[in-house]
Amino acid sequence: MTTPVLEIRNLHARIEDREILKGVNLVIPQGEVHAIMGRNGSGKSTLSYVLAGKEDYEITEGEILLNGESILEMEPAERAAAGIFLAFQYPIEIPGVATMTFLKAAINAQRKARGEGELSTPDFMRAVKEAGAQLNVDSAMLKRPLNVGFSGGEKKRAEIMQMALLKPALAVLDETDSGLDIDALQVVSKGVNALRDGKRSMLVITHYQRLLNHIVPDVVHVFSDGRIVESGDKDLALQLEAKGYADYDGQAA
Amino acid sequence: MRPAFPVRLGAAEESLIAQLKAVGADQVAERVTVAGLPTRRVEAYHYTDLKTLLRTIPPLAQPANEATGTGLRIPGAFALSIVNGVVQNAATAPEGVIVGKTHGGVLTNRDDLLVNVNGVLTKDALSVTLEGQVQQVIQIDHRIEGEAAHVVDATKIFVADGASVVILETFSGSEAAHVGNHATYIALGKDTNVTHVTVDLSARATSHFSTNEYHLADGAQLRTLVVHAGANLARTHLFPKMSGAGAHANVTGLNLVSDGQHADITMETTHAVPHTSSQPLFKSITRGRSKSVVQGKLIVARDAQKTDAKFMHQGLMLSDDAEILSKPELEIYADDVVCGHGSTCGKLDEDSLFYLLSRGIPKAEAETMLVRGFIAELIDPIEDEALNEALQGIVDTWLLGK
Ligand SMILES: Nc1ncnc2c1ncn2[C@@H]1O[C@H](COP(=O)(O)OP(=O)(O)O)[C@@H](O)[C@H]1O
Ligand SMILES: [Mg+2]
Repeated sequence: MTTPVLEIRNLHARIEDREILKGVNLVIPQGEVHAIMGRNGSGKSTLSYVLAGKEDYEITEGEILLNGESILEMEPAERAAAGIFLAFQYPIEIPGVATMTFLKAAINAQRKARGEGELSTPDFMRAVKEAGAQLNVDSAMLKRPLNVGFSGGEKKRAEIMQMALLKPALAVLDETDSGLDIDALQVVSKGVNALRDGKRSMLVITHYQRLLNHIVPDVVHVFSDGRIVESGDKDLALQLEAKGYADYDGQAA
Repeated sequence: MRPAFPVRLGAAEESLIAQLKAVGADQVAERVTVAGLPTRRVEAYHYTDLKTLLRTIPPLAQPANEATGTGLRIPGAFALSIVNGVVQNAATAPEGVIVGKTHGGVLTNRDDLLVNVNGVLTKDALSVTLEGQVQQVIQIDHRIEGEAAHVVDATKIFVADGASVVILETFSGSEAAHVGNHATYIALGKDTNVTHVTVDLSARATSHFSTNEYHLADGAQLRTLVVHAGANLARTHLFPKMSGAGAHANVTGLNLVSDGQHADITMETTHAVPHTSSQPLFKSITRGRSKSVVQGKLIVARDAQKTDAKFMHQGLMLSDDAEILSKPELEIYADDVVCGHGSTCGKLDEDSLFYLLSRGIPKAEAETMLVRGFIAELIDPIEDEALNEALQGIVDTWLLGK
């Protein structure tokens, strides 16, 4: 059996004195797309931040393995270079940092960490142009400071564009559908599906089934009160949509 | 008026008095004898108490032969230099640039000891007249060489009607406990466009003082940028005066202070006539145990209606031990004006930092990007490419913890 891209074992995490993740178990084999669905406040974003290495959380128990190696001791930047990409639920606006400068710094930092040479400026420009065209990110947006003045939809498209440029082994998409109208949802889904190449794994977090009509998952997990309480195929998402999360409320200890 | 209790004079004051008496500046000497160096009780020195901070004043500088080199080289600039207070002979000036010397001080006399001292101790001041569209950056390179010295120098610049120019002043020198007292007077003619950048890159042991006075005629557009990135004690006192309708000044500055350093930008802008505007914007970045002071006073004369002026100071603390002090003051005698002030202070935004880290950008680089972003508003408007790059370089060097 090949090593899964992601394996989470009995993960417990807290912020300040509050336990948010209460024993998450999850295995994502190479090339698979898994969805996590759950109520607001159940801890989905927390899981995504913990994967990306945000400092605010204390891991009290458990293990996260990326391609079989623990990442718990790794800095966020190291995790990114190792192949984790988080598309944020709320991408941050950073005035004063030019989008192109940021993209180039990110690509080259990851290449450097992997022992690869810097991308030449023409190659970089070509890559940005290609990814931008696919996700309707035009040059006017690229000229602005990072995410500044972007609409909700523009921010989400820009996130997926970054993912296309950074080519992660594991992409975690946190509510990438929130704030998108149906046209934008299609653009974003198309961009995501173009990156499904049979090798890249994805964890798609959402609380609407709608997104999963466009990005069809291999496995659906139900998340409730800090853990996965049920897993199934894509039909599980449809059942959830019909019945809601009420059935799972009792299950969470 | 003598205070009831005469002040106790320290070593710095004793040497200053002797230096003043030696040139016959008895009035200023008397002032020091009576009041001493300015203390926190003097409003403009409230956070920069010279009596406490300046314990010694070294002997007046001797002309120097050796030079440790300029702190900042700008490709393509026309460089003038003043070494240990002595104006050096210049190369042939480019078109529109007339270089000369004038005798004595250049500043308007006012109730300020450093201004008074500069006025009486300056021998020959550099004088520069600028006409037309001056293409080259005019750099005035101030250096203090050799053993610890008290250096006083002055520069008077006339910018003819309609002219445009970028002027850079740099301050550097040998590693010694120098005291520099520099003065620059710039008269901006009608419809001029002037950028004036001053950068302190003095050795750490130095105490650096500059006073910059600006007079803006009708339609004059001024951008100033003060950067403190050298001396342990640095203070620049700015006096822009808006004297002609349509005059506008972007008065900006940046204090970069590390452990043990104290930097102060104190501004007093006067709007003397109707329809003028100014936008003072200052930033402080601190680390270690350090102190950054920014004081900004806006004075609007009685008939200076339609004045538009807003003072802003933003601080970025890279350590917990630093102090950022901000004092805005409005003195408004007209009634139809838009004036205001604001200040903010904070650390690097954690969420912004995490966003950059999550894309694989290492921590030091991500912090640098955010700090650069913080000061972009100050550096970006400097259009001359070589100068812009050099200023960016100073910030980067500072961040690397020179
Ligand atoms: N910084 C924080 N401090 C304290 N509690 C937090 C913090 N961030 C999130 N939480 C709490 O953690 C829980 C899970 O939040 P989150 O992971 O954002 O849920 P979801 O993404 O599933 O909506 C919520 O109850 C939320 O209030
Ligand atoms: Mg969430």
